[in-house]
Amino acid sequence: MIRLEEVSYSYPDGTPALENINLTVKKGEFLGIIGKNGSGKSTLALQLNGLLKPQTGRVKIRGMDTRDPSKLPGIRKLVGVVFQNPETQFVGRTIEEDLAFGPENLCLPPVEIKKCVDMALAETGLQKYKYRSPKTLSGGQGQCVALAGILAMSPECLIFDEITSMLDPESGKAVLETIKKLHKKGKTVVYITHNLEELYDADRIIVMEKGKIRLEGEPESVFSNPSLQALGLALPSVIELAELLKTHGMVIPWEKTFSPKSFAEELCRLFLKT
Amino acid sequence: MPIILENVSFSYSRKTPLETLALRDINLRIEKGEFVGILGEKGAGKSTLTKLLNGLLKPETGTVRVDGLDPSLREAKRRIGMVFQQAADQLFCKSVYEEIAFGPQNFGYSKKETEERVYEAIKAVSLDHSILSRDPFSLSGGEMQRVAIASALALRPDYLVLDEPITGLDPVGKKEILDALKKVKDMGTAVVTVTHNLKGFFPLLEKIVLIKEGRIVFQGSRENYLRKDCVPLPPIASIMKELRARGIPVNPEVFTVEDALEEILRVKFALEKEKQ
Repeated sequence: MIRLEEVSYSYPDGTPALENINLTVKKGEFLGIIGKNGSGKSTLALQLNGLLKPQTGRVKIRGMDTRDPSKLPGIRKLVGVVFQNPETQFVGRTIEEDLAFGPENLCLPPVEIKKCVDMALAETGLQKYKYRSPKTLSGGQGQCVALAGILAMSPECLIFDEITSMLDPESGKAVLETIKKLHKKGKTVVYITHNLEELYDADRIIVMEKGKIRLEGEPESVFSNPSLQALGLALPSVIELAELLKTHGMVIPWEKTFSPKSFAEELCRLFLKT
Repeated sequence: MPIILENVSFSYSRKTPLETLALRDINLRIEKGEFVGILGEKGAGKSTLTKLLNGLLKPETGTVRVDGLDPSLREAKRRIGMVFQQAADQLFCKSVYEEIAFGPQNFGYSKKETEERVYEAIKAVSLDHSILSRDPFSLSGGEMQRVAIASALALRPDYLVLDEPITGLDPVGKKEILDALKKVKDMGTAVVTVTHNLKGFFPLLEKIVLIKEGRIVFQGSRENYLRKDCVPLPPIASIMKELRARGIPVNPEVFTVEDALEEILRVKFALEKEKQ
């Protein structure tokens, strides 16, 4: 779906943000990208739909090169990005109007635009807020509007750049659940975060540092990699506890660490064995 | 003298059809030198409470007193420093120095006194002198937040009130802020913070105020909070709670990884012994 070949990018002040990145995002995949601030995650996100273009190497979206201006409308239709702060992404006075902005710009006829908007409202559960101003919503609902605005353009691939980091835990979980649902329906998802806990059930995770990919693999192998802390990332405390218990001969299987309940159940089972 | 709230209630958009009650019958006491966490779900009234503490909002009924003073008085405002969620929103000067000096200058302190306070404030948040000439907007999220805290500290407040100070920061940035706040507290300033980040803040909190739908439902020490099975809990404490629910006698006050490991091994050993 998306292929990056030897991509490098430096900002105008000379700060290198990406160095020789090779990465393929497969169709239907849920790819997690983590790394501390300044590791190049967001720059990478902007490369994925041509908002930034590589200085060396190339980025191809289903064969279309992001450096070719004639391909950009096609690329933007395939790949949509949602950013950290929803308020900076609103354009309409009402949510309905806001969601219509994308399809309008794709020059769809009004009947089609309405269909796109209704579909996006339904997917995100925002129907009842249709005529409200996006600015009157809570942070979590705001992120849903930003997500719906992208969905209205029916992209195949969705990029999320730290969209839950300003939200309270409950709202963050709700937004992530919506995204997981969309993934199950076939959307390709690239999810950028510095909260490892959000990536338990990603298909694959890459860890970035200083513009390079340092680790790559399935969540279980990445989470248990001893170099995570050196890369500026904090292991969830539950995983930390599971790792320590392992050294004392008490093994909590990976999938049991996702909730306190299953963790405790597993511990009880181990206690009974003794 | 403490901050005292007595029977405080507050509604937004009062006397309009949109009137919403945000806080009801709040009685709260914040002592000097305490580290207080204000917890609760979104919309519970946490941020409203912080704004009542420093006079940004006035109570509809009841009274707020800061060391016996009305919070809208200049002297009361000096005693309470406020840091909002997004540091970038409260920065506005061309250099970090100007930013931190803004408060003391407005209170009419001399140039020398102001300079002294700026250096004292950046030291308190562990920032280097070299940062003073930089543009605040070129800083990392963690640095920006520390500059915002330093700006509040430059007035030598007795109470520092923060709203979600580590949201949106990476683990390194979070640790920088937590370390800075611990230092501020150790120097004698009370720290009062609204937070959802229990993993980061729990070890620092001495007192917890839990708000639910505009009312205080718990107020007391961290130990009591844990013993009373309040929620939200940090992840490790949640596991301990689940274990107790299954009849495993673990200490309810455990919430760190290290203590949990010790506690689990202790219980395991005790169970093994029982069997023999």
